[in-house]
Amino acid sequence: MKTTTQDHKTHIPFDTAREEARVLERCDALVDAALKAGADEAEAYGTRAETIAVRFEKGDLKLTQVDDGATTGLRVFREARLGFAATNQGDPAALEATARDAVLLSKSAPPHTANVLPATRALAPHAPLWHASIDALGVDEVVDLGASILSRVRARDPRISIDNASCEWTRVSHAVRTSNGTRASESDALLSLGVFGMAIDGEDVGGFHYGGDALRTADAIEPALSAMLEEFTSVALGNLNAGRAESYKGPVLFAPDAVLELFVAPLVSAASAIAVQRGRSALAQKLQQRIAFEGFDLTDDPTDRELAGAGAFDREGQPAVRFPIVAHGVLQSFLYNGYAAAVEGRTSTGHARGGPRSVPGLGPHALVLAPGRGGSRADLERTLGRGLFVQRFSGSVDPASGDFSGVAKSARWIENGVVVRSLKETLLSGNAFDLLQRILALSSASERCSGSARAPYALVDGVSVTAG
Amino acid sequence: MRRTQGPHTHMIQTQARHLQDPTDLLSEVLAQNAGGFVELRYHKKKTRAVAVEKGRVDTAQVTEHSGVGVRVLEDGTWGFASTDRLEASAIERAIQSARAAARASARARTERSDPLPQVALARGRFDSDGFDELSQKPIDATIELVLRIEAATRAQSAAIQSASCSYREVFEEKGIVTSDGAKAWTRLVRPDFSVTAIASKAGEIQRGYEASGATGGWECLFRSGAPEQLSERAARVAVDLLSAPYPDGGRMKVLLSPSLVGILTHEAVGHTVEADFVAAGSVAAGKLGTRVASEHVTLCDSGVSEYQLGAGGSLQVDDEGVLAGRTTIIRDGILTSYLHDRESAAHFGVHPTGNARAFEFDNEPLIRMRNTYIAPGTSTLEEMIAAIDDGYMLEGATNGQADSNGEFMFGTKAAYRIKNGKRGALNRGVNISGTAFDVLRSVDRVGRDFMWDMGSGHCGKGQLARVDAGGPWISCEVLLGGRHA
Repeated sequence: MKTTTQDHKTHIPFDTAREEARVLERCDALVDAALKAGADEAEAYGTRAETIAVRFEKGDLKLTQVDDGATTGLRVFREARLGFAATNQGDPAALEATARDAVLLSKSAPPHTANVLPATRALAPHAPLWHASIDALGVDEVVDLGASILSRVRARDPRISIDNASCEWTRVSHAVRTSNGTRASESDALLSLGVFGMAIDGEDVGGFHYGGDALRTADAIEPALSAMLEEFTSVALGNLNAGRAESYKGPVLFAPDAVLELFVAPLVSAASAIAVQRGRSALAQKLQQRIAFEGFDLTDDPTDRELAGAGAFDREGQPAVRFPIVAHGVLQSFLYNGYAAAVEGRTSTGHARGGPRSVPGLGPHALVLAPGRGGSRADLERTLGRGLFVQRFSGSVDPASGDFSGVAKSARWIENGVVVRSLKETLLSGNAFDLLQRILALSSASERCSGSARAPYALVDGVSVTAG
Repeated sequence: MRRTQGPHTHMIQTQARHLQDPTDLLSEVLAQNAGGFVELRYHKKKTRAVAVEKGRVDTAQVTEHSGVGVRVLEDGTWGFASTDRLEASAIERAIQSARAAARASARARTERSDPLPQVALARGRFDSDGFDELSQKPIDATIELVLRIEAATRAQSAAIQSASCSYREVFEEKGIVTSDGAKAWTRLVRPDFSVTAIASKAGEIQRGYEASGATGGWECLFRSGAPEQLSERAARVAVDLLSAPYPDGGRMKVLLSPSLVGILTHEAVGHTVEADFVAAGSVAAGKLGTRVASEHVTLCDSGVSEYQLGAGGSLQVDDEGVLAGRTTIIRDGILTSYLHDRESAAHFGVHPTGNARAFEFDNEPLIRMRNTYIAPGTSTLEEMIAAIDDGYMLEGATNGQADSNGEFMFGTKAAYRIKNGKRGALNRGVNISGTAFDVLRSVDRVGRDFMWDMGSGHCGKGQLARVDAGGPWISCEVLLGGRHA
């Protein structure tokens, strides 16, 4: 059942055990109904969330939204055939109908030997994600925090136009129950901040920039908000007076967000065991081989509580643990969910991902690219000497081939080791897998990226730059 | 699309939990909770999806997400709440919550919203073609089709290492009631189908992808090619790209295919004329009545599927209860209109254009595009190729984004060199960039053959929205992000 939230919610305490029990209650009902309807195995994953969201448009508060709801997804196997159904309705009739839908669908799909549930495994001890200080926020506090984004940006420089901004508080409980014994639940509370806009100076409209973060404790709010707004305003203002770059092929400096999108995302996609098994991974034959420069260390770390994807278990209830993907430039392991593991007769690495409205997918939780020894961003600019600095990338990266092509956003031209102007109409292209080997240096510190990953700056050789 | 008055039919052959007209209940609740502006929107979304890769059914699913979204305007401030229960007591509590949210946020609002002006709002039942047809289509036949096309794609060439195929259909039923007169019940279905082929040779991997999406039934979905043709095209592109060179980078004369024209109209122009974005200072602000494109360009956004059936973003009534017609954004090169919801229309002193859309019941309506296009001209494709001495013919959109300054980026699937008026060899797809109005000013020829070609895509603007876009081939100048030796 979904019910709307009253405005007095500020002081309603969150009973995590009770909320998790409510989620498990629906999971139990679905699993039981599925077995009764003829499933051989069943797995239910459910979430229950309460949200207060304040959204701003055109520099003013647009709307405040309060609601809560629950959704549960059911995966069944019958004679090794897959069926899946999900609903946000909680009455017994709806749950029974959902179970029948899943079993009905399984009758139409062909069998596959890997259509089995992963065996139940014990979860490692894990510090709770939920923190009372964030949970204590209510509508008034969320409105005030959101309003402070606008007022602080205005105070910094009136030329900045906020297209939209948001402040969203969510507390959520989620749980997995399977017919073969897995029963896991966890609660979390997050405050998400976002701002999106540009600087306008007369006829000069600068390019968009955005900032965002996700936080689990109240004492983290002010430092994170200050850092986010400082970065947003300085980059947005820096986007004014954009000029032209020069075309060349050579070294380019990438900010952490661009590093994640251009190099880490295709690498992790190609490290999916499913991609390997199905012939669409460029890393298929590269296990224990050098795939990147030797200072490249990439880990999936769901124990990092400062990252939004932290958690004790994956979408299938398997333990989520710290997992090295690349160490010293050498590919350590592929990522497995239950299906991919069953194909190879091995154990899942705990990388089933996704929500209750779809079958479990495969992906990382919280990526951490370790810093290098290249010094600060300024040091890397000096090392580059002359060329392009890219803060965001707007384009496409083919996860199979690694080919990328797109526009350098919030880009800067560097001469004699310092930024001399912002840029427009500057295109980048190259191949991510080739360029991983051509990283020249990583900065000595990493940055949190939108609260979901960590990465350093990277100086990479061999990139094609086309100026407009 | 058609407007019907007949009895509604059941939904899908998996457990059919179909809906009676919800607007009577919503009206009763509204009458009991009168005061200020209140908008109640029941939205039931039921999705059936099948996905197959390399012979394995990865997805065979049916999902349902339904409930009532409540939006109120109180003290000049909006509040929103939702309930997943179509019951009077739950909706009443949601109204109270929305009002409380509006009151709580009023103190942080700098300017109060004016009361919404009176406009003619939709009343009655609005059914789109295809809902009943696809409701009655057995899911096992769909699974068989997806399995067969995936297998056929793998069989197209020895170089094909893997293939995938997916089908999805989204049934949407909405009841929209407002305190100022809307009372509409709408039903539509949006199917989409896609095929991907992965080819490999000497360690190199290339991908071919074909997709189709529609608002309507089977005939609409496959209006530009049968599933077998999509399979053949995806496989051919993947294999051909293995031996294709990278094109040169730089500013070039190009022909853009209908899908690229679609993404140009949507990303580079459409977003800049959404009235909320205009108010935030987009490049289209203050340009009404001025020339922003060559005289060959007439650009529209429509809730109706113009020129060709089944455009993926079609709707008859928007999520504020406004009838969704056609808006001419640029007429013969002159900017003539922005896209509006009711609030922005009041702000600009014009009529709302039917562009308020919410993705699901627990989302507020935002200004969104529907089907955006450049109107056809008079040139044949052959004439357009013959008119180019040195350039590229670019086909197929992969993705796209646009910036506040009008700068856009689109991915293309394939590029054919044009030399001395003749189409040459295939090159790999590249991303293209430009500044929207500069590119539109460079348009010197517009083709005569029209196609919707973005109907399987979603637009992201905080929420997703199913949109379509297209047009004829056009000739213009853009920046290509090619490779340098």
